[in-house]
Amino acid sequence: MTDYFTGGCQCGAVRYRVAGPVRHASICNCRMCQKALGNLTAPFVSFQAPVEWTRSRPTLFRSSMRVQRGFCNQCGTPLTYQRGDMPISLTIGSLDRPNVVVPTVELARDNRHPVIGHIDELREESQGATDEERDILAILRSYQHPDQDTEAWTPGGGQ
Amino acid sequence: MTEPQMPEGPFSGGCQCGAIRFHALALRDNPHVCYCRMCQKATGNLFAALVGVLHENLTWTRGKPAEFMSSDQAARGFCGNCGTSLYYRSIGGPHVSMSIGAFDEPEKIALWYQLGLEGKHPSLFHLNEIEEAGTTEAAMPEDAAVIRISNHQHPDHDTDAWTPRPGVLP
Repeated sequence: MTDYFTGGCQCGAVRYRVAGPVRHASICNCRMCQKALGNLTAPFVSFQAPVEWTRSRPTLFRSSMRVQRGFCNQCGTPLTYQRGDMPISLTIGSLDRPNVVVPTVELARDNRHPVIGHIDELREESQGATDEERDILAILRSYQHPDQDTEAWTPGGGQ
Repeated sequence: MTEPQMPEGPFSGGCQCGAIRFHALALRDNPHVCYCRMCQKATGNLFAALVGVLHENLTWTRGKPAEFMSSDQAARGFCGNCGTSLYYRSIGGPHVSMSIGAFDEPEKIALWYQLGLEGKHPSLFHLNEIEEAGTTEAAMPEDAAVIRISNHQHPDHDTDAWTPRPGVLP
């Protein structure tokens, strides 16, 4: 049986689906990836099968001649990296189940942010919410799309 | 463990395409990574790496970010042209939690703590054990050359004038 991977952006305007198996899963530290994602690393996964866009499509920014990076123009979630006609790589965090994909290769370790080698040693902080705060949180409305496909969805919360 | 020192400002940063640039006079002493599922999906990443900047210390020097309200409580800022995740902001809070990777010199900002441990991705427990593919220059020399000569990323410093390459709808 084929495993399918689904995912999309935070607001749910863009959704995708792709059949396994995973072709390549990596984590990149290069400065292009860092600034594209505004983050310390960029975890990407690609598949042999083509990515199907099941709701809308990402907006594309050409970060250099051969590379295009896709994101949701409604909520900003970084979604794709594509080099030339190579298979599209998806950001692992945009998968509905990111924990099932574990990167096996690290790129551009020379540009690692100093914390990356010892992220495990950082002090662990709990959110520390009181019961009262939890009650408030429980009624707050989230506009994040659920981690599964939806038949119909109206993205909320845009400004 | 004693906390690393907070670096002294001012700081500059922005998105990949350079349509949005900012200055931060000083950072709050809360640089951290958050693994919660909201931060993961907002950033398409395994965590958001954030540091607070008081509103009065933050200036948008070029352009203005687009915002998405991820809940009634919080907004997430990003560049509408290239998509770089720029911040998390709690509504009514005293500061904006800026994306550390969007700063021009992120390596100067040491992190203090980790949050949202329920969402910590399994790979983060053994990052040092995975295969290392080397530098972009060594692993993909031809690509590295193409990136060098055709780079549309804003440089990691302020520029007097800059025309961002436009993002495109498919």
